[in-house]
Amino acid sequence: MAERFSHKRQVVGSLVAAVLLVVVTVLLVTAKIGPGLDSTELREKEERQEERLEQREERLEERRED
Amino acid sequence: MEDLVDSLTRGNVSQVKTVLASVVAVLSAYQVFLMAVGYGKVNLPFLKSKAASFAHRATGDMILVVTLLVAFMCLMYFEIGDGIEYARGGEQTRATIHVVAGSLLVAALLLKVIVVRWWQRMSRFLPALGLTVFDLFLVTWFTSAGNYLIGD
Repeated sequence: MAERFSHKRQVVGSLVAAVLLVVVTVLLVTAKIGPGLDSTELREKEERQEERLEQREERLEERRED
Repeated sequence: MEDLVDSLTRGNVSQVKTVLASVVAVLSAYQVFLMAVGYGKVNLPFLKSKAASFAHRATGDMILVVTLLVAFMCLMYFEIGDGIEYARGGEQTRATIHVVAGSLLVAALLLKVIVVRWWQRMSRFLPALGLTVFDLFLVTWFTSAGNYLIGD
C-alpha cells in the first residue's frame, strides 16, 4: 500500500500529523492554563505589591519611632 | 535579558514555557514512533521507513529550536540558582531534578545533532541516544510543565 503513496506524500503526511499534534497540544494546554495576565495587568499587580511593601515599611518605621 | 523574555511573553513566562515544553514533549513521543517505523520495528501500510526517517529529521530540527528557546527562557528569566532557591515550599527537589534533567537534555540533543551530521562513526549509538533524549524530555516536562498543569 505504501507504494501507492509517493515518498513526498508520505513525508508531507507525517509532517501534517506533527502539526496536528502541535495544534491539539496547544489547545489542550492553553485551555487548562486559562487566560493569562497581559503585561499591563502584570505591571499593575507588581505596583500594588510594591505599594503594599512600602506602606508596611512605613508603618514599621512609625512604630519604631513611637 | 529578563525584560526581553518578559516582554516577549507579555508577562506570562511560565505559561508560554509550559505550552512550548508540552509541544516538544508530545513531538518527542511522535519522534520515537517515527523512528520505530524508520528502523522497521513498526510496519505501516501507508508509511515507508525512508519517509518516516526524513520526517523525523525535519521534526527534530523544529524540536531542537523550540527546546533551545525554552532553555534560553529558563536561564535568562529564572536562572539556575534562583529557580531552585525560590521553588515553592518543599519543591526544591523537583526543581533540582528539573535543572539537572534539562541541562542533560540540551547536552544530549546537541550530541545527537553532532552524531547525525558530523560524527557518523558513532551512528550505531543513535537509537540509544534518541531514547535517552526522549526520557530526558519526559523527566524535564514532568518536573516543570507537567507539575504546573497536573499539580494545580
